[in-house]
Amino acid sequence: MASCTSASVKAQDDQVLVEETLSARTLILNRPRQLNALSNQMVSRLLELFIAYEEDPNVKLLVLKGNGRAFCAGGDVSAVVRYIREGDWKLGAKFFAKEYILNYVMATYAKPQVSILNGIVMGGGAGASIHGRFRVATENSVFAMPETALGLFPDVGASYFLSRLPRFFGEYVGLTGAKLDGAEMLESGLATHFVPSAKLSLLEEALHKEDSSDPVTISSIIDKYSQQPYLKEQSACLRLDVIDRCFSRRTVEEILSALEREAMNKADAWITTTIQSLKKASPTSLKISLRLIREGRLQGVGQCLVREYRMVCHVMQGKLSKDFFEGCRAILLDKDKNPKWEPSKLELISNSMVEQYFLKVVDEEWEDLKLPARFHLRICCCKALSISF
Amino acid sequence: MASQYSSERTWFRTRILTNHFLSSPSQSVSPLESNACLSYSPPELHESYDFYTNEMRKLLDMHNIEDRDWLFGLMRQSKVFNPQEKGGRVYVAPDYNQSMEQQREMTMRRIAYLLERGIFNGWLTGKGLELEMKKFAFLEVVGIFDHSLSVKLGVHFFLWGGAIKFFGTERHHDKWLRDTETYAIKGCFAMSELGHGSNVRGIETVTVYDSKTGEFVINTPCESAQKYWIGGAANHATHTIVFSQLNINGSNEGVHAFIAQIRDADGNICPNIRIADCGHKIGLNGVDNGRIWFNNLRIPRENLLNSVADVSSDGKYLSAIKDPDQRFAAFLAPLTSGRVTIAVSAIYSSKISLATAIRYSLTRRAFSITPNGPEVLLLDYPSHQRRLLPLLAKTYAMSFAGNYLKMIYWKRTPESNKTLHVVSSAFKATLTWHNMRTLQECREACGGQGLKTENRVGHLKSEYDVQTTFEGDNNVLMQQVSKALLAEYVATQKKKKPFKGLGLEHMNEPCPIIPSQLTSTVLRSTQFQIGAFCLRERDLLNRFAAEISQHQAKGESKEYAFILGYQLAEDLGRAFSDRAILQTFMEAEATVSVGPLKNVLSLLRSMYALTCMEEDAAFLRYGYLSTKNAAAVRKEVTKLCSEVRPHALALVSSFGIPDAFLGPIAYNWIDANSWSSVKH
Repeated sequence: MASCTSASVKAQDDQVLVEETLSARTLILNRPRQLNALSNQMVSRLLELFIAYEEDPNVKLLVLKGNGRAFCAGGDVSAVVRYIREGDWKLGAKFFAKEYILNYVMATYAKPQVSILNGIVMGGGAGASIHGRFRVATENSVFAMPETALGLFPDVGASYFLSRLPRFFGEYVGLTGAKLDGAEMLESGLATHFVPSAKLSLLEEALHKEDSSDPVTISSIIDKYSQQPYLKEQSACLRLDVIDRCFSRRTVEEILSALEREAMNKADAWITTTIQSLKKASPTSLKISLRLIREGRLQGVGQCLVREYRMVCHVMQGKLSKDFFEGCRAILLDKDKNPKWEPSKLELISNSMVEQYFLKVVDEEWEDLKLPARFHLRICCCKALSISF
Repeated sequence: MASQYSSERTWFRTRILTNHFLSSPSQSVSPLESNACLSYSPPELHESYDFYTNEMRKLLDMHNIEDRDWLFGLMRQSKVFNPQEKGGRVYVAPDYNQSMEQQREMTMRRIAYLLERGIFNGWLTGKGLELEMKKFAFLEVVGIFDHSLSVKLGVHFFLWGGAIKFFGTERHHDKWLRDTETYAIKGCFAMSELGHGSNVRGIETVTVYDSKTGEFVINTPCESAQKYWIGGAANHATHTIVFSQLNINGSNEGVHAFIAQIRDADGNICPNIRIADCGHKIGLNGVDNGRIWFNNLRIPRENLLNSVADVSSDGKYLSAIKDPDQRFAAFLAPLTSGRVTIAVSAIYSSKISLATAIRYSLTRRAFSITPNGPEVLLLDYPSHQRRLLPLLAKTYAMSFAGNYLKMIYWKRTPESNKTLHVVSSAFKATLTWHNMRTLQECREACGGQGLKTENRVGHLKSEYDVQTTFEGDNNVLMQQVSKALLAEYVATQKKKKPFKGLGLEHMNEPCPIIPSQLTSTVLRSTQFQIGAFCLRERDLLNRFAAEISQHQAKGESKEYAFILGYQLAEDLGRAFSDRAILQTFMEAEATVSVGPLKNVLSLLRSMYALTCMEEDAAFLRYGYLSTKNAAAVRKEVTKLCSEVRPHALALVSSFGIPDAFLGPIAYNWIDANSWSSVKH
């Protein structure tokens, strides 16, 4: 069975489908109605499979994709909110711990992971793909880290990969939750390749035939189907200088006023949208996210995840702020899209309030995220780095 | 046994050969990848952290950690800071392969970038300790990227700006400070001359007052009076502070400071000014050092920086300070800030080199000690530990000393000026000498890799060498320390009062006694360590005072007696400095609560103290330690090395220098040097 060249589907776990070919294993996220949002069960299954495949000498390559119009729209936040409502935020913490460990395993994985991002890639979906070696975008890709609008912050190792985007693009993407298309993902380095969706089946077929773990080989296979897409005229990638001028500022307040100065100099829809998304987001989220990305820039992926775990536990515990619950209410449950953040203004949030999120959670049973020992510390997942701009 | 080894050896060789054959270049796929005989293993995988490195970093950096990290990130992300990818990692460092002119241009572009990001907001117009601390933190971080950049900022803000702030009065502040902060004007500081450096009072530039026009007239009377080494003068500066003798109605009132414009807004050199370039230097080529000659340059009367003395419009000299010595001392006050920042930045340079050399020594192996066994990690050789770890301990000690120096600078009062002068002189000399020594040792410890500019360590030697000379030659500064100690000694004797200040209070106590048996516990006790240091300082001060008075008794002048006593003066200066540094270490240690962090600090403190004892021959020469004691000290240092070894990675990680600011040999040097990383 295992060595059979034709694809064979294992249906034992329907939220993650597995196709086995010669040396490749294709994992398909299969909750299309929920846009493949990562459930607890999916995360456990993925982790199990990744660990098993790393040790299995017959497996050389992993392909990850989604069923339907999304790759993966994020973590299953509604389940987490349910846990918290039932009074057990620690169940939520367990979910995040497992998800972050999966992110860490992917970031340090010995074999190449090819993620086919033919659709929505948001939040947890980004965490399940960007850490891997190859990320293939298509004309259907929509990438975003929308957490600040939800009273959360870009997690799943985003403080690592966002901070490594060119110049201050990471701050822009992480704070505003801006949506990027496939061309922009490639340009910014979030994607390593752009393949038109029409050619995906050929690409997958070629990968299924491959019997190598060598990244150079895999890359050259994907290259064969790749195209150079055009950036749309309004693309944020063509505004790196403005982004640089504004998002390099020390504080969120300074970023906003720099943007407002730009807006005064020149009427521009893009700047207006950017300012509006910052004003709509949770002020607390913005402040902790900015600091998170800035700290992440100077640290390894493991340290980033440990810190994000501390922060997500603070968010769920709800002692420092309840913005996450309010965000979920306004966006996911009541859908009135009118969250009432508390504190409601940036200037009401002091440094010491922000600092609290970075400290250990005071709770007898709580402890820092324990990452598994890994023997393959790959260092930078982003192709483009600062230099290509 | 022998046959077993030989068969293993055969197997080993066969394996290597097979590897070579299997990966013949005709194979299509990445031929060199599979024959990697060695692989890089990140030290994080096998080294453990016994304490929280961020806690340690707080202790070392002391202030504005988040601001520092923001600035590190700002530089790492900007192309003006020349990011280069090596082995999948980004490193930022100036391109030292550029010509001198290009490097100077890049320094200014970097300043413009930082200016636009608001880094310098409030550096001159702001008030308060918080702002002052942030300014120092930023300057330190900038210096970690490039010494030229921090020197260029230092000249503009601390020397030019500082002179206006401290020697000038309101009219100068209003006119110049804001424009300086926004770089509407670019300042420099013309003090040194070809013929006079440390001896500022001997400078030959002359200024007279013309009461008919209400102007000062500045002249360079001879070639040795040309202003020399003036940072910023060769290309960019529009204005300068001029130090000159002030001659009023034929009487010399001593050295005074004036403001003169030397270039117009378009960068053209002004009339009556001549400027030449100091040319290419062994380092610091991003700073445009120049030479200036003044030819009857006329400046308005208001351009005299008049906080100490003034000239009335009808040409009368007015000064609240009658004593010219005191007047002159008041003029040198801004140089103290320079010494503080230099001392602190020297230690950051040592941190770069130690973080690099120690990280490398935790990943590079050489020689097997068993046949066919794995090669040994460099830092597992006791000899390698002995080379690097005492320098690491000293760097820790001097970090605390730097923090203490900053504190007394920030909290200075007129009463504390003497202490500040003596401590800043001693620490500037000691810390910059330590840096040069550390850089050389680390360069050698990195072997050939240390010679590559991209790995920073070797190159920093030429970039930082100047620190032992500018803002006071180290030897001259150390003589001033001993001179000040002697003056303190003489005054105390005369007044028959106990010692007070400069940390000399221990002279009032009974003489410390060194036990004849030095056990490990004794050697590691602060009581023994500080006792031995105080004993040395006390005895050397007594000896020095006795020698000077002997010379004087023979009819030598005080000044000449001091010159003759140079050997004891040097020993005494070192003794003072070492003791003061040890005290700052003990104070820092005392702020930490019991736990792993304190334990490792105590190991480092002992290593610092015992290494100093071992290195200074005065301990044996004057018998503070017996030969048996000295042997025990030496043995203990070796033991300490093996105890510090497990913490080496955590100790350099605690420096908080982001990876982009170290060189490729600090990380995956195999990837960084692989064929695929070569630009084909």
